[in-house]
Amino acid sequence: MVAVPATAGATTLFGSGSSAEQPILNVLFRAYNRLHHNIRFNYLPDGGNAGVQDVQAGRRLFAVNTRPPLPSDAGTTYFKLFLDGLCVAVNPANSVSGLTIAQAKDIFTGVATNWTQIAGSNLTTTIDPVGRNSSAGSYTFFQQAVLGGQTQSSNVHPVTSDGLVATAVSKDQGGIGYVGLAHSGNGSGVKTVTLNGVACNQANIKNETYPLFRYIWGVLPTSGASRTVEKFLDWVRTSKQAGQIISRAGAVPAFNKK
Amino acid sequence: MDEDIFLEPDRELGFLERDRGLSQDQRAELGLGALVFVVVALLVAMLAFVLHEAWPSFAHNGIGWFGGGGSVDQQIQAIFTSGDLKTAPVYTFHAWPLIWSTILITIGAVAIAFVASLFIAVFMVEFAPPWLRRILEPVVRLLASVPSVIYGLAGVLVLVPFIGNHLITQGEKASVTPTIQLSGSSLLAAVLILTVMIAPIMIAVFADGLRAVPRGWLEGSLALGINRWRTFWKVGVRTARPVFVAGTVLATARALGEAVMVSMVSGGVGFAPNPVDGLIFFFEPSRPLAATIIANTEELNSPPMKHTLYAIAAVLLFSSAMLSVIGWAAKQPMRRYGVVP
Amino acid sequence: MSTVPTAAVPKRSESNASWRLSDRIGLGLAWLLGLLFCAIAAAIVVYFLVEGIRYLRPNLLVTNPAPGLSEGQTGGFLDPLLGTVIVGVMAMAIAVPVGVGIAVWLSEFGRPTGLARLAESAVEMLAGEPSVVLALFGTILFTVRELGFLSQTSHGIVLGQSFFAAAAMLSLVGLPMVVASTREGLQAIPSHVREASYAVGKTKIATTRRVLLPAARPSMITGTMLGLGRVIGDTAIVLLLLGGTLTFGSANSTPLLGMLRGTGDTLTGYIYYNAPTGDGNQPSKAYAAAFVLMLMVLALNLGVDFVVRRSQRAVRWS
Repeated sequence: MVAVPATAGATTLFGSGSSAEQPILNVLFRAYNRLHHNIRFNYLPDGGNAGVQDVQAGRRLFAVNTRPPLPSDAGTTYFKLFLDGLCVAVNPANSVSGLTIAQAKDIFTGVATNWTQIAGSNLTTTIDPVGRNSSAGSYTFFQQAVLGGQTQSSNVHPVTSDGLVATAVSKDQGGIGYVGLAHSGNGSGVKTVTLNGVACNQANIKNETYPLFRYIWGVLPTSGASRTVEKFLDWVRTSKQAGQIISRAGAVPAFNKK
Repeated sequence: MDEDIFLEPDRELGFLERDRGLSQDQRAELGLGALVFVVVALLVAMLAFVLHEAWPSFAHNGIGWFGGGGSVDQQIQAIFTSGDLKTAPVYTFHAWPLIWSTILITIGAVAIAFVASLFIAVFMVEFAPPWLRRILEPVVRLLASVPSVIYGLAGVLVLVPFIGNHLITQGEKASVTPTIQLSGSSLLAAVLILTVMIAPIMIAVFADGLRAVPRGWLEGSLALGINRWRTFWKVGVRTARPVFVAGTVLATARALGEAVMVSMVSGGVGFAPNPVDGLIFFFEPSRPLAATIIANTEELNSPPMKHTLYAIAAVLLFSSAMLSVIGWAAKQPMRRYGVVP
Repeated sequence: MSTVPTAAVPKRSESNASWRLSDRIGLGLAWLLGLLFCAIAAAIVVYFLVEGIRYLRPNLLVTNPAPGLSEGQTGGFLDPLLGTVIVGVMAMAIAVPVGVGIAVWLSEFGRPTGLARLAESAVEMLAGEPSVVLALFGTILFTVRELGFLSQTSHGIVLGQSFFAAAAMLSLVGLPMVVASTREGLQAIPSHVREASYAVGKTKIATTRRVLLPAARPSMITGTMLGLGRVIGDTAIVLLLLGGTLTFGSANSTPLLGMLRGTGDTLTGYIYYNAPTGDGNQPSKAYAAAFVLMLMVLALNLGVDFVVRRSQRAVRWS
């Protein structure tokens, strides 16, 4: 859901894509609207992969995806917007503080099924992994970066948006899930674990030591992209104000670092 | 020409009307008939459109569409990812786990609700003390009109945590991992909530039917010395049998089409619950057809996904149409008795 | 039932002692299930009453929702509340005239019989149809370029989600109730009333308009209220066709039309969003909204009861 400021508008730009980046995007939309009063946004958070298909089908003007371009994204052009990280989160009652990528892969492919198999965990219950469904860019990104191309096991509970991963993990002691940085901060009810010893935070994403750091991409149709949207994406990439917003929201500006 | 005295129109005929020679009645009939025709045409067009959009999915899969084979979630994923305009669209879809889930949840809920509603309706119409009856009737009507999302909310906030925390044991969870994950969202939760939702509808319809039974028939039986329970059961319930069929059919149609509420409590994975698993069977997650549509609406823009979702919608449409026909046919015998429910 | 007056009528004693065991079990089961149903119904009503009162603050009804992470930031549900009212009024504004027209035609005219039977079955089927299917159809229908005026268009893309779109599909949900109730009301009027009217020279349509419809008004009102109840309780069509924006996302600055062409939300969508299975995950707001929605439904039901009771005291066609 998006809060769209009800101004006397001239153009509404229809976009869709990642739900993990939605909190940051909402702030960016509002700030841009304050600069250009006649431009408003309508953003549908249906997942990065679904967003790209929306752009390919001509149903949306732009999309935001959380994974690099694939051959199947023909007809679209990707632009790097900013840096973000995909965190692995567990319930606060779980004492485990760090995992290796190999352990994460075992958990999400169904090899490791009980918390007793994971060092550092005080729980003796089954592992309840939570993930995303296939329309999410995060799903594909996690599949490539952690699972080595394998599909996540059938006991991974697939939810339809990023915030729901945090919700599910916060309610289940034995839960574990992959969730964007924005939805795993303070107050989200989950705690993030270090991956290969590196914590999931802004500093480690900035210096690219966190294994699951990723670029957030803006997606436009290769031919016939709207000038208005291109200007907006340029503003996000390069302007100082956008950089401040991104950094305050918890992500890392890539090209507009102060 | 004497009849003209009685055919005075309500108002003066305008110039055009006199010219065309159509009376007021004929114009009204044409106008209303056109309205009815437009509405019926719209509904038929909708039916045709749904079938047309659904056809590619059925054509590619044939009768196997309804069968099993492979993980339906993975098939949905493959269908969605093939939606970009480069690769050939993938339509492989075997919906059996979804159909099985729909059958289990719908029939489970209707069966429990039918038995309960029958006795409750009989109680309400005949055996309840008058003060209780005065309370029950408005309560039944109120519950029948409560929006389904509110039942879903109660289910998610009360029933699902209860099942997850108190009824499912660690041992059971360990025995099914890593195939599926047992949380409170399960078959049991979906069936119970759906039962509570459709029972008031059935009770209201059954009670109407029972009340329409001619009083004289019941009293004749009482006069012969048959006790009240037997009278009501053998005479009243038997007479109102067509109403029971109609009410059950109505409730089944409702249960079949309930998408949002069931998607909140049934578990959201395309898994076919296996009765062989014993007690765990009730705790297994699943996802019926209507909830599958809701879960995948974000992927509508992908053409093969669109055809697949419309195919599911066509199956639902066809099922509810069949149920409507059965319900209509079931009410006919009652009209023959001269009893109008 | 005729009563013969006697000096002293002995009270009929129904003792169950002579009943067969199966009959006693049957009666016991009826009592048990009846009381169990009372208990469950009371539990549901009391549960939502208690939780609703606990979480409903008056300011929730008048503040707009806002995106935020904690309860204090997310505001109230004024826009969804208005959205429910708007969508209900619009849907019934379409459903009532169309429904009454169809009912009148089926009841008073009804030729050719083929069309009449087709219309009856179509309305019956519509009554049982899942709203998900209607919603799915609507997503394709309203993204067609020609219907872009009903929602927003930008750069050649038709959004297809607006109050108009949702209300149009919701009117199909409320239509069968209106048709069924009005038809019942019209058919309950004895034929001698119609004949008397024809005898004094009124045309069929004038009879319908001046005599029959006013007499069937209680049924029409009942049908409208029942249809309205179904419309405001629907979630699937709202989720797919209304856009799901927390506040009104007007299409342009035209006061009423801009808002109706824009996106928004209703109480049912708001409850779904704030349930633990939705993105908002603010159960307290969901309870408060559910309470308000149940009050609306209760008010509609009381209205129906009132109308029905008043009509029973009305003119009797002897």
